[in-house]
Amino acid sequence: MKLLTKTSLNFISASVIFFLIGSVAMYFSVRNIIAEDLQNRLLQQQKDFFYNADQNKLTDLSSKLVFIQITDKEIVHSFSDTVLIVNDSYILYRKLQFSYLQDEQYYHVSILKSQNQSDSLIKKIVIMNVGFAMLFFLIMFFVNRHSIKSALSVFYSTICKLENFELSKLQTLTLETAEVHEIKKLNEVFEKMATQIYNDFEAQKEYTENVSHELQTPLAIISSKADELMQADNLSKEQMEQLALLLETTNRLSKINQALIFLTKIDNRFYTQGSSFSLNILVKEKLQIFDAAIQEKKLKLELDLLDNTQIYMNPYLAETLIINLIKNAIIHNTNGGMLHVQLSNNTLSISNSGYPLSFPQKDIFKRFIRSENSKKNLGIGLSIVQRICKLYNFDLKYKYQEEHNFVIQFEN
Amino acid sequence: MLKKYNILVVEDESELAKSTISSLSENGFSPFHAKDLKSARKLLKQEKFTAVLLDLGLPDGDGISLIKEIKNTKIEIGLIILSAKDALEKKVQGLELGADDYLTKPFFFSELNARLKSVIRRLNLEENQQLTINEITLFPKEMRTLIHGKIVELTGKEFGLLLYFFSNPNRVISKTTLGEFMSSSYADYGFTDDVVYTHIKNLKKKITNSGGDDYIKNVYGVGYKFTVA
Repeated sequence: MKLLTKTSLNFISASVIFFLIGSVAMYFSVRNIIAEDLQNRLLQQQKDFFYNADQNKLTDLSSKLVFIQITDKEIVHSFSDTVLIVNDSYILYRKLQFSYLQDEQYYHVSILKSQNQSDSLIKKIVIMNVGFAMLFFLIMFFVNRHSIKSALSVFYSTICKLENFELSKLQTLTLETAEVHEIKKLNEVFEKMATQIYNDFEAQKEYTENVSHELQTPLAIISSKADELMQADNLSKEQMEQLALLLETTNRLSKINQALIFLTKIDNRFYTQGSSFSLNILVKEKLQIFDAAIQEKKLKLELDLLDNTQIYMNPYLAETLIINLIKNAIIHNTNGGMLHVQLSNNTLSISNSGYPLSFPQKDIFKRFIRSENSKKNLGIGLSIVQRICKLYNFDLKYKYQEEHNFVIQFEN
Repeated sequence: MLKKYNILVVEDESELAKSTISSLSENGFSPFHAKDLKSARKLLKQEKFTAVLLDLGLPDGDGISLIKEIKNTKIEIGLIILSAKDALEKKVQGLELGADDYLTKPFFFSELNARLKSVIRRLNLEENQQLTINEITLFPKEMRTLIHGKIVELTGKEFGLLLYFFSNPNRVISKTTLGEFMSSSYADYGFTDDVVYTHIKNLKKKITNSGGDDYIKNVYGVGYKFTVA
């Protein structure tokens, strides 16, 4: 729920509750006031009656709304409501009754006063008050809504900018200046944080580059010296073998170094610029690279590229992903084995014949995990595949049912 | 090669430079060494070079700037970048500026020889259209092979291997080096000894069957050598 909706809803529900309670309370208090006023007026009329009764004959004082009856006993002075039928309509009256003694005779006197007027007065007052209150709430609602909205506009622009912020695009975060203190503070904190993250990112990138450079150069020296030594004429078989091993190991170390740097770069979202291209064409292109290797192992290649799948990702990562998967399927294949590449419904499936894994299936994407008979491989290729899939939220699955099967579900 | 080619090696790591220079002179080149951009510029003014081997991370700046300067002089000089940085963008930038090739450190000297000779061949269009060692003649552009004047059909990989050996006569090339060379087109590592062995076996057979000498000698099972007397 949006903040603005939330505050508006709170305001409306609170207003409605207070409004209802307030209206009921006001109705009753206005009614009480008016009833009191009516009684006061009846009492005033009673005083007038006493005054007139002293000078006149009592029966002459009887009128349309003053009833006088002879009674034998004194009655208590009291107020009550009564209804008279006048011209076929019921009219509510307030009645004051009391006894009056004249010439040793008790008279029962009732003075009536219509409540009709007070009722309409109550109605008018209540309607007027309710109307004002409603108008007041409405104005308050819009003023409130507008002020919150304007205060939050900077906040929304901040959210929007944070959403679109990408470190690797080498942009700095510049947020709008806000009038509201809290939002101003929030923006300041965000800008500070972004600068910090940016600096860390830069430092890490620099570190990765440095490690690459600093390790590769000494490796190059070792490798070049071993190569140079190998050219000597008087080497024994054993010496030659050791030099060859030195060369091979250095080469391997350098490859591991490069692969680890590559993994770090993927994790640091170094390769983010993407483009849209056809997966079918990419798979066909990359399979061609392996033509010789496929012939070498006498593999039976089955290619089912059913529909044209367009994906959006970094071209270099896409290439690496496909190459690593195909290479894996060839290296761990048996001679004369089967290689099946299938593409349909945004799903790439690569299966190959081969021996079952010599390690738990869940470890297949871990770094430096490889089967007993392929110790020469680095054991990083599938880790790279997994990292690339993770980066793009592609679903990557492996299963073994008489053959190795990798499935990637592309989701764009 | 009768003509001695002047090669400028721009490299700040002295040990690596030493090895590179000795490997180049063994291969019939005449190498010069510059340890930074300043001395490289000086040498470029003094001497006429056929090719420059350029390291990118130099103490007084990025080697990339030297590429621009060399290209601005309009003198045809072959340019190979030797860098520890395997960064894709550097590679693309270097090649776009006009570098002829890019080798990532650590590299093998046999690979450097092959690449350097290929760059020089491309520069001298009139000369070196063909390479001859005794009875074998190679036409790199058309990928044609003649032995005793007769055409021998070689596969692309076999021709590549033979050209590689031609660039490195009398040099021990380890199986690792050959494996790297053979799998360089796989964009990665992984196909090694077996593939190398099969291809070399086939190549040897084709040469001897056509009446050529058996030039490719196995060295203690760890490498091969193209021996030319």
